[in-house]
Amino acid sequence: MITLPEVLSLGTLLFCISVAGIFLNRKNIIILLMCIELMLLSVNINFIAFSYFLGDIHGQVFVFFILTVAAAESAIGLAILVVMFRSRDTINVSELDSMKG
Amino acid sequence: MRTDLIILMPEITLLVMTCVVLLVDAFSEDKFRKITYWITQLSLLLTICMVFYYSPDYSYLAFNGAFITDTMSVILKIVICGISIIVFFYSYEYLKESELLKGEYFVLGLFAVLGMMIMSSAYHLLSVYLGIELLSLSLYAMVAMHRKSKYSTEAAIKYFVLGALASGMLLYGISMIYGVTGSLQLTNIADAINNSAIEKIYLVYGMIFIIVGIAFKLGAAPFHMWLPDVYQGAPTSVTLFISSAPKIAAFAITVRVLVDGLFPLIDDWQSILSLLAILSMAIGNIIAIAQENIKRMLAYSTIAHVGYLFLGLIAGTPSGFAGSMFYVISYSLMTIGAFGMIILLGRFDLEAEKIEDFKGLIVRNSWFALIMLFLMFSMAGVPPFLGFWSKWFVIKELVDSGFFVLAVAAVFFSIIGAYYYLRIVKIMCFDKPDTMRAIKASQQMRTVLTINGLLILIIGLSPNTLMNLCLSAF
Amino acid sequence: MVVAIKNPIHAALFLVLSFFSTAAIWLLLNAEFLAIALVLVYVGAVMVLFLFVIMMLDINVATLRQGFARYFPLGIIIAFFMVVAMGLIVSSDYFLSDIYSQGSISTIQSNTKLLGLAIYQDYLYHFEIAGAILLVAIIAAISLCLNKSKITKSTQPDVQVLAKKDDRLRVVKMKSEEKED
Repeated sequence: MITLPEVLSLGTLLFCISVAGIFLNRKNIIILLMCIELMLLSVNINFIAFSYFLGDIHGQVFVFFILTVAAAESAIGLAILVVMFRSRDTINVSELDSMKG
Repeated sequence: MRTDLIILMPEITLLVMTCVVLLVDAFSEDKFRKITYWITQLSLLLTICMVFYYSPDYSYLAFNGAFITDTMSVILKIVICGISIIVFFYSYEYLKESELLKGEYFVLGLFAVLGMMIMSSAYHLLSVYLGIELLSLSLYAMVAMHRKSKYSTEAAIKYFVLGALASGMLLYGISMIYGVTGSLQLTNIADAINNSAIEKIYLVYGMIFIIVGIAFKLGAAPFHMWLPDVYQGAPTSVTLFISSAPKIAAFAITVRVLVDGLFPLIDDWQSILSLLAILSMAIGNIIAIAQENIKRMLAYSTIAHVGYLFLGLIAGTPSGFAGSMFYVISYSLMTIGAFGMIILLGRFDLEAEKIEDFKGLIVRNSWFALIMLFLMFSMAGVPPFLGFWSKWFVIKELVDSGFFVLAVAAVFFSIIGAYYYLRIVKIMCFDKPDTMRAIKASQQMRTVLTINGLLILIIGLSPNTLMNLCLSAF
Repeated sequence: MVVAIKNPIHAALFLVLSFFSTAAIWLLLNAEFLAIALVLVYVGAVMVLFLFVIMMLDINVATLRQGFARYFPLGIIIAFFMVVAMGLIVSSDYFLSDIYSQGSISTIQSNTKLLGLAIYQDYLYHFEIAGAILLVAIIAAISLCLNKSKITKSTQPDVQVLAKKDDRLRVVKMKSEEKED
């Protein structure tokens, strides 16, 4: 039988991995987008776990909406990526310095 | 159910009109873009009328407490729509000049306005999240709209990644709050916190993530790194949009979540917000001095203004919240005025992005130099302009609640901040102009900009009207 | 693995793996509908989209990895502290207390039915907003990626049908040539 802290720890671990991935990946935007997906997944795990252990359906409804929005978000992210690739032939983050930061 | 739908009428109107705009745009030729534009403006006006017409006398919760209409949401919705009308007006002129005029701009803009309206009457954490996403997804696309520009796509990807990170943080916070209180509706959350013995640390843990998410969206330091790049890289019309109305909506959700939902935790969020406020004011005002690009400078000034905005919330009293509301409304009026000037001076071949472009404006066109003077004085907080009163109310509330150190810091940083606003005034009035090129702009553009500038003076001369309105919201 | 691997395609496949394992965990937690939806939507649609974009953009893998090592040690240290701090909170005994022992939601009705009732009754408003969000995504993706170049070779039937003889055929009057002799 799974206990709540176990599932929550899994969610937290995934969350930290994806945040670290966003900050570490100075090179590849596609991997950045994947990290964002992973992050939303970890949040979903949290919601489902709470929903199960609280005996409450609302958490699952929230997950349903997060899934919807995340799909839309990744579509827009990839569209921006394609536009960027067309305009500068690279998706390298470290070359994103045409503006003084 | 029926009353719920009637309460929702303004949003329904806006959504239907947006679809109309989308269809009209899809079936019209490029030369008829004007029609799209006018229908857009019409639908915003219609929405304002609807908000007026259906404004209830008391606050009303619809859809199982997911949606609230009260005085605050009504005022904020009207201001959001009004500001968006002015924004679309400026952007139309800009887009026509720079040949970026596309119907999608207006459609996405209307969806963003819809998102902001949802945010300002959200009373359920899911509505908060969906409103934010509707707003930011439209904004990401609008920033990337200028496809040929290197800067614009770069700004879009930065905005996207950091925005998504912020949503992730916000969601993680929401999931913890849900887990601890077992509810997503803000009244139920407040009840759960008050009534049951929940260990506070778990709530604070969730709340920290929510605050970080919101701070990212507002652009408060230390989560501000996306803001200057996005402001500079995006087309000026989009920068104008991002910098004005969304801040009002973000203010609305901050108040809803922190005050209506998590008020029992006030001691904890006060200290977190104080930290954010001091950092924002310091970073915003000091780095702005070094900027050469006026869009970047305004970005840092936004960061500083967000810091002041938090001050009213920190005070933790109804009049403090009203002060913040006054601040955010006056801030967005000033900032669209400033970007309107940039659009007015800039042309496609030469965008007025450098501060030097304002050299000797007083010789070239003294009337607009005067308007710009109003705007800059107002932003710096010189009486009797609007910006002075907004700072005054916020700091007064802070002192009344006993946060003397913060108040002193706020005054100190606003004096530093005054330097770079006045530098523009100096460049404008005392430097020799490089060109004597006359400013060519349409009559409408001149009129609206003049109204914008005078509004700041007029409200500044009688600030109590607006302040009383804001006070009635809490 | 998703984060640290070299090849973006492998990273995407590892992400698919983690989606599958998450779906399995959700099944254990009685969220059947969402588990299936996760596999169908994410593995089926979103990840395919990712792979499609990766292959379409044809990225040079070799140059992508430089600079990772520079931030790696610092990143790992910070991440480690984050994991420990957050882990201490979420794994505390508080979450084992009585509130969280109510067990499954309801095994009499199916999970899908419960979810559907909640979405279409309590969350109608949010459902509409989600629809608007998807519409925004469609509009944005199309308007960003559509190339309005005029090089398409599609036929235009109306123009073809309406074409008159005069459009295609030019009758040229010429003087008949004189016979040379």
